[in-house]
Amino acid sequence: MIQVSGLQKTFHDRKKGDTHAVRGVSFTCKPGQVFGLLGRNGAGKTTTLRMLATILVPTGGTATVAGFDITEKSAEVRRRIGYLSGETKLYDRLTGRELLQYFGALAGMSATGIGARIEALTERFALAELLDVRVGKMSTGMKQRLSIARVVFHDPEVMIFDEPTAGLDVIAARGVLALIVDLKKQGRTIIYSTHIMTEAERICDEVAIIERGEILTHGSLESIRSQAPSRSVEDVFVQVVTGAGGGTNGDR
Amino acid sequence: MTAKTLAVFRKEITDTLRDGRTIFAIFVFPFLLYPAMLTLMSWIESKNDEDAKLLAVRVGIVGEAEVPGLREWIAAVPGATPVALDRAPETLQDAKVDAAFVVPSGVEGAIARGDSVVVELLYKDADNTSSAAAQRVRPILDDIERSLTLSWARANGAKAEASAPIRVSRHDISSKTDKGRFFAALLIPYLLVFMVAAGAMQTAVDATTGEKERSTLETLLSTAASRGELVMGKALAVLATSITGAVTGITGLWLTFNVVARAVPGMEEGSLQIAITPDKAVLLFLTLLPTAVFLSAVLVAIGCFARSMREGQTYASYVYMGSVFLGLGSFGQQAPSMRQFMIPILNTALLQREILTDTVVPLHAVTAIGVTAAIAVLMLVVATRLFSNEAVLFRT
Repeated sequence: MIQVSGLQKTFHDRKKGDTHAVRGVSFTCKPGQVFGLLGRNGAGKTTTLRMLATILVPTGGTATVAGFDITEKSAEVRRRIGYLSGETKLYDRLTGRELLQYFGALAGMSATGIGARIEALTERFALAELLDVRVGKMSTGMKQRLSIARVVFHDPEVMIFDEPTAGLDVIAARGVLALIVDLKKQGRTIIYSTHIMTEAERICDEVAIIERGEILTHGSLESIRSQAPSRSVEDVFVQVVTGAGGGTNGDR
Repeated sequence: MTAKTLAVFRKEITDTLRDGRTIFAIFVFPFLLYPAMLTLMSWIESKNDEDAKLLAVRVGIVGEAEVPGLREWIAAVPGATPVALDRAPETLQDAKVDAAFVVPSGVEGAIARGDSVVVELLYKDADNTSSAAAQRVRPILDDIERSLTLSWARANGAKAEASAPIRVSRHDISSKTDKGRFFAALLIPYLLVFMVAAGAMQTAVDATTGEKERSTLETLLSTAASRGELVMGKALAVLATSITGAVTGITGLWLTFNVVARAVPGMEEGSLQIAITPDKAVLLFLTLLPTAVFLSAVLVAIGCFARSMREGQTYASYVYMGSVFLGLGSFGQQAPSMRQFMIPILNTALLQREILTDTVVPLHAVTAIGVTAAIAVLMLVVATRLFSNEAVLFRT
């Protein structure tokens, strides 16, 4: 479960002044659900997810992930999450197996547990062809498959995906979405940010549209669809964002 | 050390061992560069010696008549041609000579009056030919001195027919072992500190700034490992690399002078017996540890601060240059002050020299190790703070 209440993030810069990247965001994401955070580039999606992953510290508001406060109990939160961003890369000089062993060890797993987990995930993620190949020699799709295996490796309750299909071709992107749907079915709490509306329609149960650090609308996929005659999330998105006076915005 | 720190350490070492540049710098470079340098230097030196022997030089004489026999003495030097000059030349080039003896006029009268007489040998050290000419005719200054001393003795009533058969000569009685020890005490401390810095640079920047540049930082920060565990793992990997770099560097140097120089014909003179006893090797290693930790922590801190690999490498090169500068400070320090033992890197180089020359002052050792260890811990804290500061990690 993720509960976010009035979450804020302001970046201070002596030269540029203050940037309010996230302004009082609130939402709840339940187990067995995919919560979609929809927004343009720079709308505040990544900053919100980075705060939930305890990479950034909020400047206001509160949030709990798997029952732990992200500021007060950040170590507990990190034990229970898997975080993947489309922008993040892997270590080119490690093999798939070494990479999983590394992140398994960082998650506090024992060597035996790591070995067993690799075996358990091999079929589901088609890891056999990745385990003994260096990441640098893998295709983009293979890397992303390995990335998702890395996210679920320590069996986290909560998974945070920040535009995980960025830069992937259609086939690879579909593969990633299928894996996320599979994880949802297993009862994981999943938060998924994207600016591709068709992806949201395909996998999300609830969505929130974020613009300039604020959530403009929020609800189940059906309730969002009902806001436009075409029942298209994309149309609702355009309508809501342009209605909010959305022009160009700062990249956050 | 926690299991997570160990995992970071192992990953960074694996990463480093698969980086061709680092492997070359640490494991190949010392065993290729030093023998190559020694071979080249020996070849240049022997070629210069041969060339110098064959070189024909013109040696000017001003006041030839004042010192009987001077022309003959010069002519007796192989390849030297005496050239009479009217006056001291303003430049050797104008007089078309490579060196010149200048004897003032009226030497006999000056000696009779008890005045001092100054005979000069003019040459240019910055000119190879002139320098070689001066080297070959320099012993003639002794002959001139003896001749003038004889004149002085006669002027003072002595019935001397020839100068006293007294000759002062110098002989370096250092054995190869002595020379090797001197060389080791002079160079090894300096080389160790700069090799530690050089070995740590690439790994430190790659393990820290590299995470930012490769976009792997966020993934790492979202794991259950604490920032302290991550920094410690990285700093340990940098430390291991830097010490390995120093050890392979010194081994390469030892092999060059002890094995390569003896094995290659014509290079025996360049060989040195650098013998470091095991107890000294252990002491050198122990004294090097705090400095290696200090440099590793500084480089990791810098890597956390830098925005890009280029920026990180630039900052790291400043640390490297600083280390070289401080290491060089140990040269020619006959009686270093207590204050110098409080300066990191310099204090280690000075202490290691004391170890190699069996002149360790316990207070120097305690100060050097204590100060460096304290600053090393401080730098580790700084590195952890920087790695925990999102304004630093994500600054653009």
